[in-house]
Amino acid sequence: MSQAAVAIRPARGFVLPRFLRSEHPFPWLAPITAMLLVFGVYPLLYALWLSLHKRNPATRISLFDPAYNWLKIFTDDRMWGAIGHTYIYTIVAIVIELLLGLLIALLLDTDRKGYGVLRALMTLPLVVPPAVTGMMFLLMMDGSFGVLSRGLYATGILSPSQPILANSGTALAGILITDIWQWTPFMVLIMMAGLRALPKDPYEAAAIDGATPVQAFFRLTLPMLSKIIAIAVLIRGVDLFRIYDYVKVMTEGGPGTATETLTAYAGTIYFKNADFPYASTIALFTLILVVVTSSVFIKLFKVKF
Amino acid sequence: MQGSRFTRTLRDVMAVLVVAIFMFPIFWWGLTSFKPTSAIFNKDKVVFFDFEPTLVNYQVVLLGKSRAELAIESGNTFGVGGGSTYDSRKTILDSLLIAVGSTALTIFLGVIAAYALSRINFRGRQAYLNWILSQRFMPPIAIVVPIVFMFHYAGLRDTIMGLVFIHTLMNLPVAVLLMKSFFDDVPVDVDEAAMLDGATRFQIFRKVILPLVTGGVAATAVLCFIFSWTEFLLSLFLTNQIRTLPVKISTFVTSTGSEWGFISALGTSAIVPSFIFILLVQKQLVRGLTLGSLKD
Amino acid sequence: MSFKGFDRQSFIVDSAKAFGSRKISKREFMRRMGIAGIGFSGFAAGLLGNPYRRSLGKPAFAADITLPEDQTKFLKEVGGKFKGATVRYTSEATPPTVVLNQIKDQFTNLTGINVEVEIVPLEQVLAKATQDVQGQLGSYDLYYLDQSWVATFAQDCIDPVQYTKDKPDLAMPGFDWDDFSKPLVSGLAMYEGKMVGIPFDIPIFILMYRQDILEKHGIKVPTNYGEFTAAVHAITEAEKANNVFGTGLQAKSGHYSLECDWSQAVWGHGGSIFGKDKHFTGNDEAAIKGLQWYQDLLKNAPPASTTSNWDGQFQMMAAGQCALVQSWDEFFPGLDADDSKVKGLWQPAKPLQSEAGLRPASEAGFGELPNLGHQGGSVMGLSQYSKNQEAAWIFMQWACSKEIMTQCTLAGGFAPMRLSSFADERVKAKAKVMPGTTRHLETVKWTIDNVMASEPDMPLWAGYSTNELPTELGKLVTGQDYGGDAKKCMDAVAAMIDAKTKDAGLL
Repeated sequence: MSQAAVAIRPARGFVLPRFLRSEHPFPWLAPITAMLLVFGVYPLLYALWLSLHKRNPATRISLFDPAYNWLKIFTDDRMWGAIGHTYIYTIVAIVIELLLGLLIALLLDTDRKGYGVLRALMTLPLVVPPAVTGMMFLLMMDGSFGVLSRGLYATGILSPSQPILANSGTALAGILITDIWQWTPFMVLIMMAGLRALPKDPYEAAAIDGATPVQAFFRLTLPMLSKIIAIAVLIRGVDLFRIYDYVKVMTEGGPGTATETLTAYAGTIYFKNADFPYASTIALFTLILVVVTSSVFIKLFKVKF
Repeated sequence: MQGSRFTRTLRDVMAVLVVAIFMFPIFWWGLTSFKPTSAIFNKDKVVFFDFEPTLVNYQVVLLGKSRAELAIESGNTFGVGGGSTYDSRKTILDSLLIAVGSTALTIFLGVIAAYALSRINFRGRQAYLNWILSQRFMPPIAIVVPIVFMFHYAGLRDTIMGLVFIHTLMNLPVAVLLMKSFFDDVPVDVDEAAMLDGATRFQIFRKVILPLVTGGVAATAVLCFIFSWTEFLLSLFLTNQIRTLPVKISTFVTSTGSEWGFISALGTSAIVPSFIFILLVQKQLVRGLTLGSLKD
Repeated sequence: MSFKGFDRQSFIVDSAKAFGSRKISKREFMRRMGIAGIGFSGFAAGLLGNPYRRSLGKPAFAADITLPEDQTKFLKEVGGKFKGATVRYTSEATPPTVVLNQIKDQFTNLTGINVEVEIVPLEQVLAKATQDVQGQLGSYDLYYLDQSWVATFAQDCIDPVQYTKDKPDLAMPGFDWDDFSKPLVSGLAMYEGKMVGIPFDIPIFILMYRQDILEKHGIKVPTNYGEFTAAVHAITEAEKANNVFGTGLQAKSGHYSLECDWSQAVWGHGGSIFGKDKHFTGNDEAAIKGLQWYQDLLKNAPPASTTSNWDGQFQMMAAGQCALVQSWDEFFPGLDADDSKVKGLWQPAKPLQSEAGLRPASEAGFGELPNLGHQGGSVMGLSQYSKNQEAAWIFMQWACSKEIMTQCTLAGGFAPMRLSSFADERVKAKAKVMPGTTRHLETVKWTIDNVMASEPDMPLWAGYSTNELPTELGKLVTGQDYGGDAKKCMDAVAAMIDAKTKDAGLL
């Protein structure tokens, strides 16, 4: 490398310091690092600073009290409810989206005519703004007028006196349906890519040995796909954990707190109670949970970037 | 898998059925956007095709017809809140500007960073990569309030530039990791050959390597665009008069009724540009969605 | 301007003749009619023919709003001093604001001051205003403050009456403070002796009933809670098969609308939200009776009630799903829309009388006024942190002036803030079955003057009424928690609220 540096010594005698030359990572990374520091790191530090205060809503004065909010989260029942809802939501969604994604990918993974169109259509749900998706499913699940609700009543799965989003037992399911609709295509795409990348030889060998397609699937396909599955689960999981749009638009955390996820709870505290310090604490705690959970996941499944 | 005629037909039927199920909501919304209110809220039956289609929703939302004009034409002078606030043309324009702007900025910053991360092996590189990845984990709600204050003091509140910055921030992790994987695909030998000719890194980057990854840049750009186009939370709190599409739609909820006709019309229109883009970069899509760790 | 009777008649006739022979334009004709006190519905105006095919920009009513000369002069001269300034106002999409947004160009034409109106759903207004005052950012010059937030934001607003005294040269002539309905001023705008803003809108609970359904079943219009409950049960029994219910409710979990329904029920059964000693009294006997009554009502309302706020409740009424509703008078004009299935079928009535009697205000805490008609009004407040205070003040006066407020009423048929608007000929002319009807306004005025109820005024109320109360109530009515036991729920709420109130030093 240093030979190249010598070779470009300019005629005029002005030499860039080492770290500004394009051999050094600095000039390449400086702009983005600056951007991330200013807009990413600084606000987080500010939020951390906020979380160390206790705010009096009547006087609007915040006093430095580092332990107050952080201890509060552990005694706050609603917080634990939110953590529970968030994890349940994340895990159920991931499992369903993964399974459905895999199945649909297998279904559509063929070069026969017309399947290209089917695959393209399958990506359509991904480009709808989630806020819009939420509103439209809200309309479809409306207790009296929604087409989905009426379908459910007609088939007897639900009774008209228990609209799906009004019932604390089914509200989370309602939001899950929305998420599954929008994000299963994500899994489908990834699984399809993974299936394409699979080598043909092991399958041929297995066929010669007389293995059935089902056996081939479990013994060959799945293990070879495992790395892909791990990455997909990680990325999707992180996004699920941070879910906000659907909850806000469709139920606002209700009925009661049945669909209150961590971000929804933070939002409520921010904007209805104006308790910025506590809301910041909740949000930061969410971040901590995400980082910890994903680190564990990355280590366990040896995911590489 | 080869199969009998029967399994093949079965498969075809299943495939079409599954896709049809997924397309149903979009079909339904499109349908709703042509319905008059009485057809949307009919307590006795679900209205599929049994209504008089109306273009009114699109006229208001896309063509700038004001609610007041609607009121006069139908003889209905305002029972419900409304007005020219439903005209969404400026919104679409602003959303486009912000999406394009943030995509451009993201690509610019992200591509040069990705190249360095791919080629230059420096101490702490893995740590730096992990840091970038961790930015992806952050819930936007954590930074809403600090960003609002910051922007206010910097005069960026309610400006297109402000939103461009924020969307760039949120897209950078994806862009960097994704582009890095594309750069990784290009063998280092190419770089070294060019270096023997006496070029600096930067020249190699510009003249040799970059042209080889245009497909990757395109895919990254598309993903960034889609994200910016659909972002809601931060766009809501950082704007007053400027409205991005998702935020605009949320304002169609008035105190005397949600304007579902308009919501569905604007919502359906919002899908079009993104879908076109996705079709254009179908191939590189998967790599984008997995932050570069999975190639197509 | 005023006309003696015969002057007016001949003026009208002359103008009509002139228009007929094309001596004056339609615009001029409308203007003269406006002066003479005749309004036109959009339909009728359309009948006059429209020479401006292309520029259907302004609706007929807005074509020519004429302010009195002294006000116009004031706006041009005094307002003109602030030419080029931009005033920012954030509000919910209630009809007055929407109309204001439509006609604000007229203000700009006269003064050169630009006005930006940001219209968002109510929760977003609260969120943005909260953020704005926390950092004293001054990103808004004017706030739309719901009465339940007045206490929270009192310190951020300037007392308009005081401001008028302090800056007499900026005071609009003919503003007439006394013209504002007194109960509205004290109920909406006053907090601890300070006026926080100018009353701007007044959705208030009245009783609304479907005349045809009641007649069909031979039910008298209920006048008290007992009769109401009986009627609701009877109708639900009879009509359930047709997907029609006795009543419809806005019981959305976690939404302020549920809190409104709840407090109405509590007051109507002789309870109150806070007691004299500032403790929460929603868990005392009277209040529990109210809540249990409400729980029973829910069984007689469309199941979607628990996911509906006022928006959904309106849809239920408009789609013909319910027969008797005690809710916002603002719904009324929309029910008479031309494409409405229930046009002309709904009638207004006074809010229900309470058999249990009302709790006197002296026994309630924090300035709460238990009564029969829950008001959800709001004020327009001038921000302390505004960078364009004086320009904003000029706009505020224009927006709340007699003529403009009357125009707002004419446009949408909702209740005015000013006595002159109630009495205005044009408003009375619309008191029949028609879109934008004003036929309910008499009932509304009576309610405001006699039985208006107000929520407590304290800084934490904005949070309690939008978070703690409706969330726990939501858990109760949807069965997520408390097993249907109203007392248990309210005891939990009492614990939460009292703890927070104490923590803030107010208990």
